[in-house]
Amino acid sequence: MPDTILVVVEQREGKLNRVSWETIAAGQAIANATGWGLEAAVVASGASTIAAEVAAKKVAKVYAVEAPKLEPYTPDAFAAALKQLLNTKQPKLVLMPHTYQVRDFVPKLATAMGRTVISDCVGFKYENAKLVLTRQMFQGKLAADVSFTSDGPWFATFQNGAFRGDKAEAGTSAAPIETVSVEIADSAIRNKPQEVFKEAKQAVDLTQAEIIVAVGRGIKEQKNIEIAKQLADALGGELAASRPICDSGWLPMDRQIGSSGQTVAPKLYLALGISGAIQHLVGMKGSRAIIAVNKDSEAPIFEIADYAIVGNLFDIVPPLIEEVKKAKAGG
Amino acid sequence: MLVFRKPLEGVERPQMPADVVIVGGGPAGMACALRLAQLIDAHNAVHPDLQLSKENIYVLEKAREIGQHCLSGALLDPRSMRELLPGFEKEAPLDAEVTKEAVYFLTQKSKFKLPVTPPFLRDHGNYVISLNRFVKWMGSKVEETGITVFTGFAGSELLFGQNGDGDRVQGVRTDDKGVDREGHQKSNFEAGYDLQAKVVILAEGPRGSLTKQLIEKFDLAKNTNPQTYGVGIKELWEVPSGRIAAGEVIYTMGWPLTTKEYGGAWIYGSKDNVVSLGFVTGLDYADPRLDPQRVLQEFKRHPFVAKLLEGGKMIRYGAKSMPYGGWWAIPPVAGDGWMILGDSAGFLNSARLKGIHLAIKSGMLAAETAFDALTKDDSSAATLAAFQTKVESSWIKEELWKVRNLHQGFEHGMYAGMFHTGLQMITGGRGLRNRYPAQAGYEHMRKLSDLPADGGAEAYLLGPAKGDGKLMFDKLTDLYHSGTKHEEDQPSHLVIHDTNICNTRCVKEFGSPCQNFCPANVYEIVDDASQPNGKRISLNPSNCVHCKTCDIADPYQIITWVPPEGGGGPNYDGM
Amino acid sequence: MKILVCMKQVPQKDAPLKLNESGTWIREDVSYEVNEPDAYALEEALRQREKHKGEVVVITSGPARAQQVLREALAKGADRAIHLEDPKFVGLDALNTAKAFAAAIKDEAFDLIFTGLQSDDYGYAQTGVILAELLGLPHATIIMQIEKTDSGIRVKRELEAGYFQFVDMPTPAVLTIQSGINKLRYATLIGIKQAKNKPLRKVALGDVQSAIGENLQKIERLYVPQKTKKTEHIEGLPGEIAKKLVDKLRNELRVL
Repeated sequence: MPDTILVVVEQREGKLNRVSWETIAAGQAIANATGWGLEAAVVASGASTIAAEVAAKKVAKVYAVEAPKLEPYTPDAFAAALKQLLNTKQPKLVLMPHTYQVRDFVPKLATAMGRTVISDCVGFKYENAKLVLTRQMFQGKLAADVSFTSDGPWFATFQNGAFRGDKAEAGTSAAPIETVSVEIADSAIRNKPQEVFKEAKQAVDLTQAEIIVAVGRGIKEQKNIEIAKQLADALGGELAASRPICDSGWLPMDRQIGSSGQTVAPKLYLALGISGAIQHLVGMKGSRAIIAVNKDSEAPIFEIADYAIVGNLFDIVPPLIEEVKKAKAGG
Repeated sequence: MLVFRKPLEGVERPQMPADVVIVGGGPAGMACALRLAQLIDAHNAVHPDLQLSKENIYVLEKAREIGQHCLSGALLDPRSMRELLPGFEKEAPLDAEVTKEAVYFLTQKSKFKLPVTPPFLRDHGNYVISLNRFVKWMGSKVEETGITVFTGFAGSELLFGQNGDGDRVQGVRTDDKGVDREGHQKSNFEAGYDLQAKVVILAEGPRGSLTKQLIEKFDLAKNTNPQTYGVGIKELWEVPSGRIAAGEVIYTMGWPLTTKEYGGAWIYGSKDNVVSLGFVTGLDYADPRLDPQRVLQEFKRHPFVAKLLEGGKMIRYGAKSMPYGGWWAIPPVAGDGWMILGDSAGFLNSARLKGIHLAIKSGMLAAETAFDALTKDDSSAATLAAFQTKVESSWIKEELWKVRNLHQGFEHGMYAGMFHTGLQMITGGRGLRNRYPAQAGYEHMRKLSDLPADGGAEAYLLGPAKGDGKLMFDKLTDLYHSGTKHEEDQPSHLVIHDTNICNTRCVKEFGSPCQNFCPANVYEIVDDASQPNGKRISLNPSNCVHCKTCDIADPYQIITWVPPEGGGGPNYDGM
Repeated sequence: MKILVCMKQVPQKDAPLKLNESGTWIREDVSYEVNEPDAYALEEALRQREKHKGEVVVITSGPARAQQVLREALAKGADRAIHLEDPKFVGLDALNTAKAFAAAIKDEAFDLIFTGLQSDDYGYAQTGVILAELLGLPHATIIMQIEKTDSGIRVKRELEAGYFQFVDMPTPAVLTIQSGINKLRYATLIGIKQAKNKPLRKVALGDVQSAIGENLQKIERLYVPQKTKKTEHIEGLPGEIAKKLVDKLRNELRVL
């Protein structure tokens, strides 16, 4: 049987988790490199609407894995359901996004099948007919190329943002959808989950923010932090700061980025008036894109910035807020 | 509002009895523990009915791991280690045997090798070591004996006798843990223990805090010269192979210092292409704007040093003070219930620039005295005075006597110093008189009004280094490589007795030299419109590398360094 | 309540790492510390024991140096420790590590097994979940709170984007514990002294060899990530800069 890649997308309450497009893009990239086939699977009670959405992408087939006991999510149900699917379809490689939910069941699934997972990958290489997955180790200090030494199915999860969801190619026509009913015994499910609820977090978790606007000494006074906050709000991001700002009590300690604060790697890090002392850089240099605004052209932050603006942040931030608002309003 | 660390009041403290408490797990403290264990084991072997226990002998070490706060060049004279553990060379981590030494006098662009290496700087037979690794190894030997080393616990206060027995040291109080920066108990608060000990041995390194407490309380320094210090700023580098041989030792004097400052550099070739290099600056310079970390950076600019380091990588940074005062600055080292060892006492040979072997020997002698005290169950001043006698009749005195006036000879500059040193070499250390006086280092510091505004000839040593990121580094970048970390939410352990002096007087008189002499950016002067001079002192205590420079060099002597919550501090891996 | 806490010793967070000769792992000569999430797992276990009485056992695998993690745990109040001691344990993948643990505890019956949510060195977040599957136990991950109930436990699970969920579970069960959920206690002098006399059982690689197999994955290469960074300067009047930036944000960075 020719080798196939199976992307298992994630859904919450009947809606597709958008990170799944990134996994599809990853699957397509690997399929292009290896020549393997690409299929997708949706695991849910009432999976068909989501399956149709996925089928619009360039995949050979979409499996809608159905069972009433798949709602609400439990690791027992998901592992059991997917094990049945995988035993039947026998893909070579199974891909999932590295979400909290996937972390909760995929190691169980792989172990139940006597297999292994390479998790939280940021890329892949295909050289000499060997597939190798790249992941960060030691909190980003080193990178590792990891290979599978067992038979398939191989399991891998990809880090949020490792691939671009908008690069998931659309199919020329809708892929066929195959409904797969699975059997899950009553006794198999041991956890009884209650309703999901939202709670105001005690502390802000900057590691989850996709966009961060950070201020440093260049903000000069506590009251000036307001314009940084407005920029963060306009962008839909979080406010953060370098150490001296938090030490002065201008922002709480949980907003501190750096060796004695949080380490973040958001999609976008906007550094306003931050010089870039090494203690701060180690907390954010893994950010996917860095924009720095500083009056001093020699500030070390510019060495790691993707976009550098040498200038007065008080001149630049107000018009920037306006332009961002305009763009978001559909301008 | 700055809240300073002090033991909490009105808190019930667990009491723990002890036979001996050694404060400080450096070479002196570890040697003491090892020797004590040896003596007890030997005793127990022949006295089956009169066994002494090691269960109640403790070493308190403030670092999270043994050796973590140990920093030195370092060159080990094996003399005392051979007495302590014959054959130690077979198992101790020694990086290289010294093969080659040279002493250079530097000018800005050239170097002159001294045709003859002065006898006190000859290092054949000595070893290049990493003190951090060496002490780690000593610590493992101590733990094998059954003596407990409590890591992450600092001695925060001495306990004195009550009711008329106030001259007796009765024990040590350990640090309170889980106190927030306002001085209030956090939910995981643990009160410091009161260790009621028969014998307290202080081995805290240079400018020990309990040692300072003891000296002040009993006016121990009244008949001695004031202790004088230098601060050693060190960087560990990895260089391309072939640049320097393992075991190659280089000392320099002269540039970048002028004849007015005391100090010099060391460069030691270690194994695996690692180079230990650093600059020691005497903490008795005149210009308060001088920055010892800057001095090290300027030193690296010298073509000979730059060439050595080119293409290399700086892997670690640190700083530590060292006592230069010599024999006349050593206070009484034993009293009612206490003894002082190593750098805390001032056992350092400032001519040879070595103190580790003396620290170890002092630890051994103290152990013999402590053993006596345990067998007699008597740790009074009379019994412990034996330690003083032992030191004075040992090779510690023999060695230090010969250089007893060395540093003082430099009180009036380099040329005078060299003259006196030459004279002392041919008079068994006497020089012009048996005891040269000395002045505390901070008393040499001049006010800004007495100095040229632009710094004059020393201008290039003043103020912070800028760094190029490759050969020279600014202080914050260097500091990052010290691995220093502390619990952030705790009171400041740099106790400033009157911040008004900082904000109203020092800012004008000396220009806040703390910003310059601190190698770790702990002290900063920030704008504050509410202050008379528009400026205020601000502290970053968690940057501290525990070098004690501020306690030593502050011209008003209003800074007292006390240990922060145990477990915090630098990480001198490989230093 | 009998609780097992699986702990790992990892290189210190700020330790400079060097690659070994073959470039497949790091050199051993670095400073180590306890994996921070595991310290929170231990703290939670100690608190549960304070509430419900019982026993806290800690287990780790690794060379002799790993014993330090167990000593610290015993000093904080754990009752006994198990050390799978052998340098070769470092090279086992998560599945084999879990298999070794399962073999080491096969004669014990724990009510709860905790691990930290992931390790600071590998960052796989797998060992706890794998262990649950091997032992045939229910599990839940990224747990913030645990309460005892008549039928077992009720745990609070953290989800993404500020969402949470309570889950009722039977015991025995395996939980991976979120970091930072409580204030870590300090070891006391008495605790450190007492730790010396607490039972520490050593398990050799040979004792569990039959339970483990070949690794199913392999680190081909470990390396310092190269980042080719080209800094683009954005210039002009503030209004122009703002427009250019927004253009980048929208079209190149895709955050708008």
